[in-house]
Amino acid sequence: MSHTKVTERPQRWPAFTSPIRSTALTARVGSLVGICFLVCLGTGLLSHYQYRPWSWLPEPASPVWLYRFTQGVHVATGMATIPLVLVKLWSVYPNLFRWPPMRSVKHALERLSIFVLVSTALIQLTTGFLNALNWYPWPWDFVSVHRFLGYVVVGSILLHVGVKLPDIVYGWQAKLPEADVLTEIPWSENPNAHSNACDVPPPATTALSRRGVLVAAGAGIGTVVLTSVGQTVTPLEPLGLLAIRQWTKGPQGVPVNKTAAQAAVVELAQSADWRLQVAGLQAYSLTLDDLEELPQVEADFPITCVEGWSAGAHWQGIPLLEVVRRAGGDASSRVRVVSLEPDGLYSTSVVEGPQVTAALLAVHLNGERLDVDHGYPLRLIAPNRAGVLNTKWLGRVEVN
Amino acid sequence: MANRVVHGGNLAWAVRGFRLFTETPFSHLLWLLLWLVAAVAIHDGVLSPLVVGIGWLLAKTVPPRARRFLQGGLIAGGPITVVAIPMMLRQGLDPPAKALLLQDFRVNLAYLLAVVATICLLLYALAVARKDAVRSMVGRLGPGS
Repeated sequence: MSHTKVTERPQRWPAFTSPIRSTALTARVGSLVGICFLVCLGTGLLSHYQYRPWSWLPEPASPVWLYRFTQGVHVATGMATIPLVLVKLWSVYPNLFRWPPMRSVKHALERLSIFVLVSTALIQLTTGFLNALNWYPWPWDFVSVHRFLGYVVVGSILLHVGVKLPDIVYGWQAKLPEADVLTEIPWSENPNAHSNACDVPPPATTALSRRGVLVAAGAGIGTVVLTSVGQTVTPLEPLGLLAIRQWTKGPQGVPVNKTAAQAAVVELAQSADWRLQVAGLQAYSLTLDDLEELPQVEADFPITCVEGWSAGAHWQGIPLLEVVRRAGGDASSRVRVVSLEPDGLYSTSVVEGPQVTAALLAVHLNGERLDVDHGYPLRLIAPNRAGVLNTKWLGRVEVN
Repeated sequence: MANRVVHGGNLAWAVRGFRLFTETPFSHLLWLLLWLVAAVAIHDGVLSPLVVGIGWLLAKTVPPRARRFLQGGLIAGGPITVVAIPMMLRQGLDPPAKALLLQDFRVNLAYLLAVVATICLLLYALAVARKDAVRSMVGRLGPGS
């Protein structure tokens, strides 16, 4: 079999000889990475829709756990993808040292697209993870950049898949132990790559096999998932050695995303002068005593944070629809609830569609009066709704 | 097929990339660009050479049979460590009511790595015992068997 001449390259240049790296290994890990990013994009868009739904297609109220599921999957998949991407990049690291760095304009553009893919993927995963830790060492708005980068990452993956499709097909068709050896020299120039040697198998791995790499990486990533998803999968909470949130340790068995002190509402929320102002065709106000006299119902709704944690909770409160009807509205009304919080991105939220009927203005949580960190004296709670949209420390309800 | 996938990727880039540029303040875009370049520089210039260097060192110093399990342990422990380090850096900094990073992740990481190490040691011991058993069986049966 003939091979083209190995392109001349600098004398001192990295040479990768490990037979572990292979296109077959990369194809398998890379496919998983692609699937994970697609899952993250899909669930991320569903989360984004929570914040900006079209008025003709409001969020459903059922199943109550829908957002808990999709956002739990989003964050768990994102966390698992961090090491997965590192394994994928390790498997193709020799490609960085291909010589010459650029053979043509097309080749230069391809390498630039890989730079965009790698850099945006790393930043998307890192900043997403740090967001779950409430750590923001960057100046830009996380939500909008995370959303736009999500498209850029998936667009880059599609581009990469298109360019590398022959390699991916070969990688999947080849058996793992028998496939090529991936080095810094392209197949066409490397008689030792074995991919183009057909019947010549690659040298045996001296220690860990290619399958061993997949098994070990899978075990590590599986451990990360198993020990972190307890923040949203209740039965796995005791295994949560890497759980970011522990819902059992929050006040009344539920964590909070923003405390009353952080929202600067401690005094306002506990003031004897507190009133709920209801605006609508028939405006009125309610005191705490008035609220206690209104008919109350109980419901089990999970509270789910965009950061991936969630907790099932038992709520007691006044049906929002009851308050809306007294103001002259009905189930088709568009309701805006306003917090006492003087400033804050989520100090107001809009309830519409099926959630108007299902939502409560909660006064009790898990059998106790609401803790001030959970929104005392009154908070919104609705099924299948992002946590920050369940506005706390309510002062005003506007019925439109 | 491949061309359609490429065009789909280009379209996603173009539309959303453009909106990223139009809806983000310029100074923030510069910071983002810095982060993007730094991410690749740190990965390609620090992390990957470190991993390659460790692999090279192991190949030079550890016999193949033991190396197999050591490599496996390092690969399994890597993801756990990568996720635990940022948690360690942020633990205990938020109000307790948030129930956020209340655990001692240094201890938890040590537990998890100890489990990984124990499993690798057990598997290594099993491999050694199995090889010894095969060797002694061949010895009993004699060289011609």
